[in-house]
Amino acid sequence: MKIIAGVLLLLFGIFMAAVVIDPQFGVWENRDVTAYYLEQGAFETGSSNIVNAIVWDFRGYDTMGEETVLFTAAIGIVLIMGVGLHGHNHKKH
Amino acid sequence: MDTIIRSISRLLFPLMLLFGIYVALHGHLTPGGGFPAGAILGTAFAMLVISYTKKDVEYRLTHNKIIAVKSAAAIILLIIIIRMSYFIRDWLLQGQTLFSLWSGGFTPFANIAGSLMVMTAVMIIVYGVVRE
Repeated sequence: MKIIAGVLLLLFGIFMAAVVIDPQFGVWENRDVTAYYLEQGAFETGSSNIVNAIVWDFRGYDTMGEETVLFTAAIGIVLIMGVGLHGHNHKKH
Repeated sequence: MDTIIRSISRLLFPLMLLFGIYVALHGHLTPGGGFPAGAILGTAFAMLVISYTKKDVEYRLTHNKIIAVKSAAAIILLIIIIRMSYFIRDWLLQGQTLFSLWSGGFTPFANIAGSLMVMTAVMIIVYGVVRE
Protein backbone atom coordinates (compact mmCIF):
# COMPACT_ATOMS: atom_id res chain seq x y z
CA MET A 1 0.00 0.00 0.00
CA LYS A 2 2.82 2.35 0.94
CA ILE A 3 4.67 1.46 -2.26
CA ILE A 4 1.61 2.25 -4.37
CA ALA A 5 1.12 5.54 -2.53
CA GLY A 6 4.77 6.42 -3.05
CA VAL A 7 4.63 5.64 -6.75
CA LEU A 8 1.45 7.68 -7.17
CA LEU A 9 3.00 10.58 -5.25
CA LEU A 10 6.09 10.41 -7.46
CA LEU A 11 3.96 10.41 -10.61
CA PHE A 12 1.97 13.34 -9.28
CA GLY A 13 5.19 15.23 -8.55
CA ILE A 14 6.54 14.56 -12.04
CA PHE A 15 3.25 15.65 -13.56
CA MET A 16 3.12 18.87 -11.56
CA ALA A 17 6.76 19.62 -12.38
CA ALA A 18 6.04 19.08 -16.06
CA VAL A 19 3.02 21.37 -15.83
CA VAL A 20 5.01 24.09 -14.08
CA ILE A 21 8.22 23.89 -16.09
CA ASP A 22 7.30 23.20 -19.69
CA PRO A 23 4.88 25.96 -20.71
CA GLN A 24 6.11 28.94 -18.76
CA PHE A 25 3.53 30.72 -16.71
CA GLY A 26 2.03 33.69 -18.51
CA VAL A 27 3.71 32.94 -21.84
CA TRP A 28 0.90 32.28 -24.23
CA GLU A 29 2.94 32.04 -27.43
CA ASN A 30 3.89 28.50 -26.54
CA ARG A 31 0.38 27.26 -27.13
CA ASP A 32 -0.94 26.90 -30.61
CA VAL A 33 -4.50 26.31 -29.53
CA THR A 34 -5.14 29.82 -28.20
CA ALA A 35 -4.00 31.44 -31.42
CA TYR A 36 -6.12 28.98 -33.36
CA TYR A 37 -9.19 29.78 -31.24
CA LEU A 38 -8.71 33.51 -31.68
CA GLU A 39 -8.07 33.36 -35.41
CA GLN A 40 -10.43 30.65 -36.58
CA GLY A 41 -13.07 30.54 -33.84
CA ALA A 42 -15.48 32.97 -35.40
CA PHE A 43 -15.36 31.26 -38.78
CA GLU A 44 -15.61 27.72 -37.47
CA THR A 45 -18.40 28.22 -34.98
CA GLY A 46 -20.08 31.25 -36.53
CA SER A 47 -20.45 33.03 -33.21
CA SER A 48 -18.83 36.42 -32.85
CA ASN A 49 -18.63 36.17 -29.08
CA ILE A 50 -15.37 34.32 -28.62
CA VAL A 51 -16.07 33.42 -24.99
CA ASN A 52 -19.32 31.79 -26.01
CA ALA A 53 -17.63 30.00 -28.89
CA ILE A 54 -15.03 28.51 -26.57
CA VAL A 55 -17.38 27.71 -23.71
CA TRP A 56 -20.23 26.16 -25.67
CA ASP A 57 -18.50 24.85 -28.76
CA PHE A 58 -14.79 24.09 -28.42
CA ARG A 59 -14.98 23.11 -24.76
CA GLY A 60 -18.49 21.73 -24.87
CA TYR A 61 -17.78 18.67 -22.77
CA ASP A 62 -16.44 20.84 -19.97
CA THR A 63 -19.61 22.92 -19.99
CA MET A 64 -21.70 19.77 -20.01
CA GLY A 65 -19.87 18.71 -16.85
CA GLU A 66 -20.69 22.06 -15.28
CA GLU A 67 -24.34 21.60 -16.11
CA THR A 68 -24.16 18.11 -14.62
CA VAL A 69 -22.88 19.69 -11.40
CA LEU A 70 -25.87 22.06 -11.43
CA PHE A 71 -28.25 19.18 -12.11
CA THR A 72 -26.77 17.15 -9.29
CA ALA A 73 -27.06 20.11 -6.90
CA ALA A 74 -30.72 20.62 -7.78
CA ILE A 75 -31.53 16.92 -7.46
CA GLY A 76 -29.70 16.84 -4.12
CA ILE A 77 -31.76 19.79 -2.88
CA VAL A 78 -34.93 18.03 -3.97
CA LEU A 79 -33.92 14.82 -2.23
CA ILE A 80 -32.53 16.30 0.99
CA MET A 81 -35.01 19.09 1.65
CA GLY A 82 -37.90 16.93 0.51
CA VAL A 83 -39.46 19.53 -1.73
CA GLY A 84 -41.50 18.44 -4.66
CA LEU A 85 -41.96 14.91 -3.43
CA HIS A 86 -45.42 15.46 -2.01
CA GLY A 87 -46.94 16.53 -5.27
CA HIS A 88 -50.06 17.99 -3.68
CA ASN A 89 -48.68 21.32 -2.54
CA HIS A 90 -50.59 23.27 -5.13
CA LYS A 91 -53.92 21.72 -4.16
CA LYS A 92 -53.82 23.17 -0.65
CA HIS A 93 -54.15 26.64 -2.06
CA MET B 1 -43.93 41.30 2.03
CA ASP B 2 -44.97 44.90 1.53
CA THR B 3 -47.39 46.17 -1.03
CA ILE B 4 -44.63 48.35 -2.45
CA ILE B 5 -42.31 45.40 -2.97
CA ARG B 6 -45.11 43.38 -4.50
CA SER B 7 -46.05 46.09 -6.98
CA ILE B 8 -42.47 46.79 -7.96
CA SER B 9 -41.66 43.13 -8.43
CA ARG B 10 -44.85 42.63 -10.44
CA LEU B 11 -43.79 45.53 -12.68
CA LEU B 12 -40.20 44.36 -12.91
CA PHE B 13 -40.83 40.66 -13.52
CA PRO B 14 -41.71 40.77 -17.27
CA LEU B 15 -38.84 43.15 -17.97
CA MET B 16 -36.38 40.81 -16.28
CA LEU B 17 -37.86 37.88 -18.18
CA LEU B 18 -37.49 39.77 -21.46
CA PHE B 19 -33.94 40.77 -20.66
CA GLY B 20 -33.03 37.20 -19.77
CA ILE B 21 -34.50 35.88 -23.01
CA TYR B 22 -32.62 38.57 -24.93
CA VAL B 23 -29.33 37.64 -23.28
CA ALA B 24 -29.97 33.95 -24.00
CA LEU B 25 -30.82 34.51 -27.65
CA HIS B 26 -27.98 36.94 -28.31
CA GLY B 27 -25.43 35.01 -26.28
CA HIS B 28 -23.26 34.23 -29.28
CA LEU B 29 -23.30 37.82 -30.55
CA THR B 30 -23.02 40.06 -27.51
CA PRO B 31 -21.53 39.57 -24.04
CA GLY B 32 -23.58 37.12 -22.09
CA GLY B 33 -24.48 33.55 -22.76
CA GLY B 34 -26.28 30.69 -21.15
CA PHE B 35 -25.12 31.09 -17.57
CA PRO B 36 -25.84 34.83 -17.14
CA ALA B 37 -29.17 34.44 -18.91
CA GLY B 38 -30.14 31.61 -16.60
CA ALA B 39 -29.05 33.66 -13.60
CA ILE B 40 -31.22 36.59 -14.73
CA LEU B 41 -34.28 34.41 -15.37
CA GLY B 42 -33.82 32.54 -12.10
CA THR B 43 -33.46 35.83 -10.22
CA ALA B 44 -36.75 37.03 -11.70
CA PHE B 45 -38.57 33.96 -10.42
CA ALA B 46 -36.75 34.13 -7.08
CA MET B 47 -37.87 37.76 -6.70
CA LEU B 48 -41.45 36.72 -7.41
CA VAL B 49 -41.29 33.85 -4.90
CA ILE B 50 -39.76 36.03 -2.18
CA SER B 51 -42.00 39.06 -2.62
CA TYR B 52 -45.20 37.02 -2.83
CA THR B 53 -45.82 33.96 -0.74
CA LYS B 54 -44.63 30.63 -1.99
CA LYS B 55 -48.13 29.28 -2.48
CA ASP B 56 -49.14 32.06 -4.85
CA VAL B 57 -46.36 31.12 -7.23
CA GLU B 58 -46.63 27.40 -6.63
CA TYR B 59 -50.22 27.41 -7.80
CA ARG B 60 -49.09 27.86 -11.38
CA LEU B 61 -45.49 26.73 -11.20
CA THR B 62 -45.30 23.38 -9.48
CA HIS B 63 -42.14 21.47 -8.69
CA ASN B 64 -42.96 18.79 -11.18
CA LYS B 65 -43.10 21.30 -14.02
CA ILE B 66 -39.73 22.78 -13.01
CA ILE B 67 -38.11 19.35 -12.79
CA ALA B 68 -39.64 18.37 -16.13
CA VAL B 69 -38.23 21.52 -17.77
CA LYS B 70 -34.85 20.83 -16.18
CA SER B 71 -34.76 17.25 -17.37
CA ALA B 72 -35.83 18.22 -20.89
CA ALA B 73 -33.16 20.93 -21.03
CA ALA B 74 -30.56 18.45 -19.78
CA ILE B 75 -31.48 15.94 -22.48
CA ILE B 76 -31.42 18.64 -25.19
CA LEU B 77 -28.05 19.88 -23.96
CA LEU B 78 -26.70 16.34 -23.93
CA ILE B 79 -27.83 15.82 -27.52
CA ILE B 80 -26.35 19.16 -28.60
CA ILE B 81 -23.00 18.70 -26.90
CA ILE B 82 -22.44 15.03 -27.75
CA ARG B 83 -23.21 15.48 -31.38
CA MET B 84 -21.16 13.67 -33.91
CA SER B 85 -22.71 15.22 -36.98
CA TYR B 86 -20.79 18.14 -38.37
CA PHE B 87 -23.07 17.84 -41.38
CA ILE B 88 -25.97 19.44 -39.47
CA ARG B 89 -23.68 22.15 -38.19
CA ASP B 90 -22.54 23.03 -41.69
CA TRP B 91 -26.17 23.00 -42.82
CA LEU B 92 -27.05 25.41 -40.00
CA LEU B 93 -24.09 27.63 -40.79
CA GLN B 94 -24.59 27.92 -44.51
CA GLY B 95 -25.85 31.23 -45.87
CA GLN B 96 -25.35 32.97 -42.54
CA THR B 97 -23.16 36.00 -42.19
CA LEU B 98 -21.15 36.41 -39.04
CA PHE B 99 -23.31 38.80 -37.05
CA SER B 100 -26.80 37.59 -37.95
CA LEU B 101 -29.06 36.13 -35.28
CA TRP B 102 -28.88 32.41 -36.15
CA SER B 103 -25.26 32.46 -37.20
CA GLY B 104 -24.00 30.38 -34.33
CA GLY B 105 -24.67 26.89 -35.57
CA PHE B 106 -25.33 24.87 -32.43
CA THR B 107 -24.39 27.53 -29.92
CA PRO B 108 -27.75 29.40 -29.74
CA PHE B 109 -29.59 26.18 -28.93
CA ALA B 110 -26.94 25.25 -26.40
CA ASN B 111 -27.32 28.72 -24.89
CA ILE B 112 -31.08 28.34 -24.57
CA ALA B 113 -30.84 24.87 -23.05
CA GLY B 114 -28.09 25.97 -20.66
CA SER B 115 -30.07 29.02 -19.58
CA LEU B 116 -33.06 26.78 -18.84
CA MET B 117 -30.80 24.50 -16.80
CA VAL B 118 -29.41 27.36 -14.70
CA MET B 119 -32.86 28.97 -14.32
CA THR B 120 -34.46 25.78 -13.03
CA ALA B 121 -31.51 25.16 -10.71
CA VAL B 122 -31.97 28.61 -9.14
CA MET B 123 -35.72 28.07 -8.90
CA ILE B 124 -35.35 24.68 -7.24
CA ILE B 125 -32.84 26.09 -4.74
CA VAL B 126 -35.16 29.01 -3.94
CA TYR B 127 -38.12 26.66 -3.57
CA GLY B 128 -36.10 24.50 -1.25
CA VAL B 129 -34.85 27.33 0.91
CA VAL B 130 -38.01 29.45 1.15
CA ARG B 131 -40.59 28.09 3.53
CA GLU B 132 -44.20 29.19 3.49
